[in-house]
Amino acid sequence: MEAPQYVAARVQRALAEDERTNELGIRVDVRGEQLFLRGQVSGDERRALIADVAGEAAPGLTVRNEITVMEVRGPGREERL
Amino acid sequence: MREVRIAAVGDVHLDESLRGRYRERLDGVEEHADVLLLAGDLTRHGTLEEGRVVADEFRGLPIPVVAVLGNHDHHSDLPAEIAALLSGAGITVLHDDATVLDIDGVRLGVAGGKGFGGGYAGKCASDFGEPEIKAFVGHTKRIADRWRVALKELQADRRVVLSHYSPVKDTLHGEPLEIYPFLGSYLLAEVVDAEGADLIVHGHAHAGTEKGVTPGGIRVRNVALPVLGRAYGVYCL
Repeated sequence: MEAPQYVAARVQRALAEDERTNELGIRVDVRGEQLFLRGQVSGDERRALIADVAGEAAPGLTVRNEITVMEVRGPGREERL
Repeated sequence: MREVRIAAVGDVHLDESLRGRYRERLDGVEEHADVLLLAGDLTRHGTLEEGRVVADEFRGLPIPVVAVLGNHDHHSDLPAEIAALLSGAGITVLHDDATVLDIDGVRLGVAGGKGFGGGYAGKCASDFGEPEIKAFVGHTKRIADRWRVALKELQADRRVVLSHYSPVKDTLHGEPLEIYPFLGSYLLAEVVDAEGADLIVHGHAHAGTEKGVTPGGIRVRNVALPVLGRAYGVYCL
């Protein structure tokens, strides 16, 4: 059986290098038969796409998509330096 | 002399699916700030299509916009073409040089560029060994040298350095230690400390923190969108 660290590394590379995602900021963990994805993205479509690319890079594992969609608030308080 | 209000954000990673969505967050930006700085990674893949979305989102704002590119904006090997799209939309793009804006009679100097990696003092790559390592470190050294010249020549009342990569570790807390050398370089801070500035803003470190300071005491702000969690930060000098 392939070591889970190598599977996670392959998925992380796929997310970075696949033209559909080019995503560098997602944490990937493999635990048993499950692949966990964590991080923040800008929208639901992207969240789903990342799970697709991850699933293709790790066939046989169940993808647990725990990525959240970032909510961007208004400009907020200014800071005086 | 009046206060200058600087809005800044980086890592907006726009593409066609986000067209119009950033623009709506910029409504009334002129009430909050005198200038908007964009700290790189404006696109996802660095394609011309994405570059056009960025140009359109930030085109024709009532305040000046100054930008640098990030590593994502280089991914398709079209940085010059993307910069040209932004320039065509009236955005000033810095390439290791500087610009001076007149804000109601106050000269605001903005210097900088993409920056690059290498790591931080005592825990960094050196210009030694294989050509690949020398090329990596040499890229940062050349950038730092150009920033030194730009800052030396910059005549302004307030001075801000705009970068994509981080000049300090302070604003990286939350990022894995192992990737620090890919998030920035102390060489960038060293030249700014030597030549002087009032503020450094950068992006790139999505899991980092907002506030830091250089060894010489210059305030640093990580304005990556995921760090700010708001449309832009506003800093008054």
